[in-house]
Amino acid sequence: MGETKINIGPVHPSTHGVLRLVVTLDGDTIRKVEPHIGFLHRGVEKLVETRMYMQSPSYMEKIDYVAPLSYDELYVATIEAALGIAVKERAQYVRLIQLELQRIASHLLWLGTAINDIGQLFSVFMWCFKDRDIVLSLLEEATGGRMFYVNQRLGGLNRDMAPGFDKHAYKALDYLEKRIGEYQEYLESNPIFMERMKKIGVMSKEEAISLGVTGPTLRGSGVEFDVRENYPYYVYEKLNFNTQFENSGDCFARYRVRINEMKESIRLVREALHIIPEGDAIGMPIRLIGPQPKEKEVMVRRELPRGEGMMYMVTEGQRPYRLSIRAPSFINTAILQHLPKGHRLQDLFPILASVDTVMADVDR
Amino acid sequence: MKINSEKLRETLEKMHREGYKYLVKLTAVDYTDRIEVLYFIRNLDNSKEETVRFDLSTKNPHIPTVLDLYLAADWYERELSEMFGIKIDGRNAKRLLLEKWDGKDPPMRKSFIWSKPYEGMKDAVKWAEKYKDDKDKKDGGQNVIRIGKPLK
Amino acid sequence: MIFQNIITGIETTLGFTTVNPIINYAIAALVFGALIMVLITIFDYIFGWIERKLVARIHLRHGPTKTGKYGLLQNAADFIKLFAKENIIPARANRLLFLFSLPIVAAIFAFIVEILPYGAGIYGVDLTLGVLVAFVLISFIPILIFIAGWASGNKFSSISAQRSVLLLISYEIPLFLVIASVGILANSFDFLQIVSAQSSWWFIVLMPLGFVLFFIALIAELERPPFDLREADSELIAGWLTDVGAPLYAISLFIDYTRVFLGSLLVTILFLGGWNGPILPPYVWLGIKVLLVAIFVVVLRATTPRMRLDRILRLGWVWLVPLAIVNLLWAFVLATGII
Repeated sequence: MGETKINIGPVHPSTHGVLRLVVTLDGDTIRKVEPHIGFLHRGVEKLVETRMYMQSPSYMEKIDYVAPLSYDELYVATIEAALGIAVKERAQYVRLIQLELQRIASHLLWLGTAINDIGQLFSVFMWCFKDRDIVLSLLEEATGGRMFYVNQRLGGLNRDMAPGFDKHAYKALDYLEKRIGEYQEYLESNPIFMERMKKIGVMSKEEAISLGVTGPTLRGSGVEFDVRENYPYYVYEKLNFNTQFENSGDCFARYRVRINEMKESIRLVREALHIIPEGDAIGMPIRLIGPQPKEKEVMVRRELPRGEGMMYMVTEGQRPYRLSIRAPSFINTAILQHLPKGHRLQDLFPILASVDTVMADVDR
Repeated sequence: MKINSEKLRETLEKMHREGYKYLVKLTAVDYTDRIEVLYFIRNLDNSKEETVRFDLSTKNPHIPTVLDLYLAADWYERELSEMFGIKIDGRNAKRLLLEKWDGKDPPMRKSFIWSKPYEGMKDAVKWAEKYKDDKDKKDGGQNVIRIGKPLK
Repeated sequence: MIFQNIITGIETTLGFTTVNPIINYAIAALVFGALIMVLITIFDYIFGWIERKLVARIHLRHGPTKTGKYGLLQNAADFIKLFAKENIIPARANRLLFLFSLPIVAAIFAFIVEILPYGAGIYGVDLTLGVLVAFVLISFIPILIFIAGWASGNKFSSISAQRSVLLLISYEIPLFLVIASVGILANSFDFLQIVSAQSSWWFIVLMPLGFVLFFIALIAELERPPFDLREADSELIAGWLTDVGAPLYAISLFIDYTRVFLGSLLVTILFLGGWNGPILPPYVWLGIKVLLVAIFVVVLRATTPRMRLDRILRLGWVWLVPLAIVNLLWAFVLATGII
């Protein structure tokens, strides 16, 4: 047989969202993969130019619908940097707690869907969603929303943590730590998963740096870079954050990095809840005409669950002149042109699952 | 750092040799008389970042490709060329996000009109002025939109 | 003797004796076939309910709860829904083969169930080479699956059918070797003799390696997880069943569950002592053992991931075949009475 082209179309149970891959096969071996994206392009960068600053956090949340709170916080932090507003101290702790809880929820969803793609083991998918539900009810208790929380205001939050929050949080964190330990034990002692994840999609350190990947995909290839450690923000320095990275560069390393990140997040939330100061965490209410911006252009980086997100904003009066969003999944999807070459067709799905893309993040 | 647009390749090659091997983002801003292109590059060994920026004229802008230095520039250049209409010398940059769109204007330029503004909200400042003398004057006459009730 | 009983029953009720034995035989065959289909349908119904509720409980959710008291009428509702839909045949498909290959597979499985016994006096026919006949019929299945996949006219369906065929023919060899060793131990290939040879010790105790090999090869033959390539949702949608319309899909579900019934019966008769048991009547013991094996198959489905095709083939050829030969030698040793 010569080379055949198959189309893993936009509507498929395993591509996370609408992604079209045209795969050129030679028998069972992959020769070339062409991703076609753009099905979910909504023109967010142009849309924001016609609105005032605080009319847009809702748009930013819909960019990544798995971890919306992190994008919301990134955008509000950009505006705060442009307007020169400092974040109150207690609000920094509360924001950190919410961000780390969002990271746990996002990685749990990744774990469920990745195991479902690799081995069709629907049980782990269901259990991960049940655990994610616990984190989402914690966030609902704190912010009022389960999926989209427009909770960040300039200089603080919309509402502070309720008084009984830390008791519920400690109970939930103990339960989550036990469950994550069980998942790790179960998956790593199962030879079927191990042989589908080890030595698949190997990316060396130089390749990873040149391809510009971020997040756990980069840290799985031996690069010790994390925005929370190299360019720290809020109180990460006080809480002694450690970067988790692995050296092998295959799918198993990326999975390991995410599991370790979840454990690290649980530790960070516990410590932050111990040392959180009393005080006021409410930010400014939303006004159409707010303070004038102090900086002409500003750039803010954060560590989103999928990688490093960056926003570069040029201000003009009360609205942004240009907002340029660097979405981590965009550049993580580009490596699909290089990684699966030479593997079998069945190995494409573990590679796609381990890179953890969300298509709305790719297309913005 | 601000450079001249002809010196792009030699500047980037020099920085690549110095260890700035990671391309964070390649973006552009359309000031109406010029287009400013920015390259954000980073050195992962000592966590230093550098921004390389230069201006292009709005008529027939073109930049050389840096695909041999940074493989990440592949998709960034494609997106830049379709959104701003900047030609990339040295490769055929196909469209990425708007594959089947048949429009001619690059969307992210300021000259791209995408809808007529709604008559009633043409300028939000004028609208706020109109409702200035309302009964609710607790905040000094400015119009305040509260979304969700704060606890304090 | 049920078959003979049916013939005498028809003769006495209808009044004519040996006027035309062929007609009696034919009517008795039809009645017997109908009884077996009723039995299979009852088992499929119950097994479908067990599977949905048990898998749901493992997933920490309830299964169907609204239709009927505990969701018991769910299968009937699905059956009615599937047969009420339109049967769509793709334009590139070969009409005759597409329509008839799946019902023929269902008929073959039902036929194999007819030659198995259910009790000391409850059987249809007593074939001296019953085991061999059953497995020769099983070996027809790969060809029919290939025809069904090819007849869809779709590139993906025929690729998936080829993968299924590869799986099935690789795992038939360890299956036959283990059956040969069972036949050596019991000194015959007759089902009734095999069960009565287990009245002192069940074969699972005498030949545990054989039981494990037989079970693994059987799961591959039944195409259940972890070997279910056919249902690889995330890879080639539904395999060679992508293009079948709703009524034929109902028949393929019937085939799926009947295969599990057949597999559980075979495991029970060949290794678990059939209907031998202390106090309860024999058919109750058979029912209990078949249900236990079926529940184990369901739990295996919900807790194991799917293997890749080349690893499955490696398992079959590199590990199962040599171990099956070792098992055969062990059966020789046992049969000569040294141990």
